[in-house]
Amino acid sequence: MNILTVKNIHKKFNNLEVLKGVSLEVNKGEVIAIIGPSGSGKSTLLRCLIRLETIEKGSIEIEEKPIVFEDSNEKSIYSSEKDIRNLRLKMGMVFQNFNLFPHKSVLENIIEAPLTVNGLDRLKAEQIADNLLVKVGLADKRENYPCELSGGQKQRVAIARALAMNPAIMLFDEPTSALDPELTGEVLQVMKDLAEEHMTMLVVTHEMAFAREVADKVIFMDNGEIVEQGTPKDIFSNPTHPRTKSFLGQVLK
Amino acid sequence: MDYILNVTMAVAYGSKITYLLFFSTLIFALPFGLMIALARLSNLPSLKALTSTYIWLLRGTPLLLQIFFIYFGLPVFGINLDRMSTAIIAFSLNYAAYFAEIFRAGIQSIDKGQYECADVLGLTYLQTTKRIVIPQMIKRVLPPMGNEFINLVKDTALVYAIGLSEILRAAKIAVVRDFTITPFFIAAVFYLLTTLILTLFFRKMEQKYAYYE
Repeated sequence: MNILTVKNIHKKFNNLEVLKGVSLEVNKGEVIAIIGPSGSGKSTLLRCLIRLETIEKGSIEIEEKPIVFEDSNEKSIYSSEKDIRNLRLKMGMVFQNFNLFPHKSVLENIIEAPLTVNGLDRLKAEQIADNLLVKVGLADKRENYPCELSGGQKQRVAIARALAMNPAIMLFDEPTSALDPELTGEVLQVMKDLAEEHMTMLVVTHEMAFAREVADKVIFMDNGEIVEQGTPKDIFSNPTHPRTKSFLGQVLK
Repeated sequence: MDYILNVTMAVAYGSKITYLLFFSTLIFALPFGLMIALARLSNLPSLKALTSTYIWLLRGTPLLLQIFFIYFGLPVFGINLDRMSTAIIAFSLNYAAYFAEIFRAGIQSIDKGQYECADVLGLTYLQTTKRIVIPQMIKRVLPPMGNEFINLVKDTALVYAIGLSEILRAAKIAVVRDFTITPFFIAAVFYLLTTLILTLFFRKMEQKYAYYE
């Protein structure tokens, strides 16, 4: 089943067209890495999927239900707030800058949405949180505050927090870009574990090794378009498009 | 010594008015100021315009003038308020405008990522405001709020002008009656002690919120 279907989406910031007709399908259990130079529109694409940005043209469906669809004049129409709300809850998002709630402990960060949004009782929510903390290797940090954690630990809490809502797909927006190089490994390991459990994931990343090793499919974006996509082997070993070649030439050196 | 004690008692009696006005103003102006700040930050142009105008009017004219307007002006329209009600209303309306601007600054200083994150987790506007924004805002507004609280203590002396016997007026009566300025010193001690308590209170609050960041 398609978890996510994106057709021909266009996004402009003022007059700058940052997405110029991007289409994409994500199947259940698939791990897709999106790579490309800065300003290529990869992060904007993720933000459009979860409606942190709105699109002008195109359609986005989650589990075959539309968040936004095109009318007969090719203009995008968003579904009702209520429908969108339910569909967005199927997506978990991890941000580059973690965005943990600084005034809440690790545990409170994770149970916040299960309690307030899903209305779980506290005991159940804490159970879920404790399991997730074990999973991301931070069971001993349960009562700590974000300011007491390293960047890598913060990002692992952010992943646990997103997972606590039991999403059908996880969106990662450059999850290791704000980290010191020696801390990226622990975050990538958690993501790798998730991939092995067949979590559906869409990962915008600069970590080529991760993309090559973990992704089922790699998408190369440049200048607001998908230039080339394929298996990691296709993209990294036999890129066909000159722009892909030039980009990989620079980052892989 | 007896004299000082007598005057102190008189000033202490006046301090009841001062403290009543101080706490009443806080009770009304803090929530009202928060509502104004949230309205001003809303996406509705009419609410924005309304609250900006409110803040402009209330900050742009002297508090004393506002007190006079309510006390002498409203009776023209058939609304008669006693002195204490006048004082509480004028102070609450005025201080709400200042509090609103402090709250607004506090809210605006919160990172956009906090809203985005709460949003994608499914929290509603009200849940985000109550559980994510306001708790973080409180920490950030403590220093300017400390200032405003201290200003408020001193501003209560303005109600002297409509004949309310607060600390300063109680002292002034003794000064005129007894030809000595000792009562003014006693009044100063009352103000200083009050602001000292507030200073310590805010220091405690800042320590309490120092648990993060």
